[in-house]
Amino acid sequence: MADAKKQPGDRLSEATLIERAKQGDAQAFEALYNLHKRRVYSLCLRMTANTAAAEDLTQEAFLQLFRKIGTFRGESAFSTWLHRMAVNVVLMQLRKKGLPVVPLEDTMESEEEAPKKEPGADDPRLAGSIDRLRLQQSIAALPPGYRMIFLLHDVEGYEHNEIAGMVGCSIGNSKSQLHKARMKLRELLKTSRAEKATKP
Amino acid sequence: MTCEEFERVLPELEGGHSIEQEAHLKSCSACSDLVRDLNAISQQARHLQGSEEPSPWVWNSIEVSLRQEGLISQPQPERARTLAPLLGWKLRWMVPLAAAFLIVFGVLLHERGGVQRDLAKQTTPPAGVVTADLVTSQEDEQLLNTVAARTPSMRDAYEANLRSVNAYIRDAKQSADSNPNDEIAQQYLMNAYEQKAMVYEMALDRSLP
Repeated sequence: MADAKKQPGDRLSEATLIERAKQGDAQAFEALYNLHKRRVYSLCLRMTANTAAAEDLTQEAFLQLFRKIGTFRGESAFSTWLHRMAVNVVLMQLRKKGLPVVPLEDTMESEEEAPKKEPGADDPRLAGSIDRLRLQQSIAALPPGYRMIFLLHDVEGYEHNEIAGMVGCSIGNSKSQLHKARMKLRELLKTSRAEKATKP
Repeated sequence: MTCEEFERVLPELEGGHSIEQEAHLKSCSACSDLVRDLNAISQQARHLQGSEEPSPWVWNSIEVSLRQEGLISQPQPERARTLAPLLGWKLRWMVPLAAAFLIVFGVLLHERGGVQRDLAKQTTPPAGVVTADLVTSQEDEQLLNTVAARTPSMRDAYEANLRSVNAYIRDAKQSADSNPNDEIAQQYLMNAYEQKAMVYEMALDRSLP
């Protein structure tokens, strides 16, 4: 997974913040939180589709990270460490609630969830007309298994081998579920666009 | 290559197509539109990364927990000296005011739970008197019962938050009692009350149907 773009100066200041946080500096903790809060919270929000749950999970992810900050040696990027922790916190929460974390295998998929195949259908192009709000709404409407893989790969930038390790599925399953998620989103976005076009 | 064959291998295609697949895309508008749409969805999705902001409550809760766990050390004297001139005598009035917020939330709890109380017995504390004890564990239990009745899954999280913030209030109160003229200690106590008021506010907001 590629880290967010950073300048050398930014890396140095984050390293300084980490060292100060290890010494118990409250401002350093807060600065580290402010640097990464949006990404962690956005991830939690999209995975849970619930503001309250996302805030609780964000809090839990940062607390777990800060409790272990004394052990951080800088072998990997701090943001990578934090992000993986956030994903693990979300996955644990979903498992506790009994929600599907491991994507459904192809044979177990329900007819409702499967994206409709339209070979040769004459649909207008979607490219160039996707707005952020409709995409967000469509992602929230995805089945949890599809949504998980889509968020981790297309939004957060994890590779399939990383996703497979995190959620406990095969790389092939991850690719398959990602494709189905994108197909389902295409269907949802076209439906949404058609509905919008028919409204007075 | 047919459209069905192309769609079957599509999940595996990342970063490139074979000559046969390219040829199919050039000859089939449906499949080329499909690939274009899926790529557009993927590209637009990347813009969603880090696009949302959590409420200030999240950091406040984290800070409370870090202080309770001793991961945050006490602030430096220079910071205290910088704060002191800004606080002034008004702090003494703000401490009981923050405690009054907690009383209001306690009243709201009783009303929502249908519990009858004699509200006349709940008085605003005299100026300068620290009033942490006005909101006792009984009010906390009632809050937790209200949360549990509406959103059972949230009860444990709020219980943990209340435990942390009550400990914060106890420590701040101890410091304020030991140093009644220390405006920084009064400020910390006010912050602690505000934290608790925030927990109550969030719990009542979130427990609303």
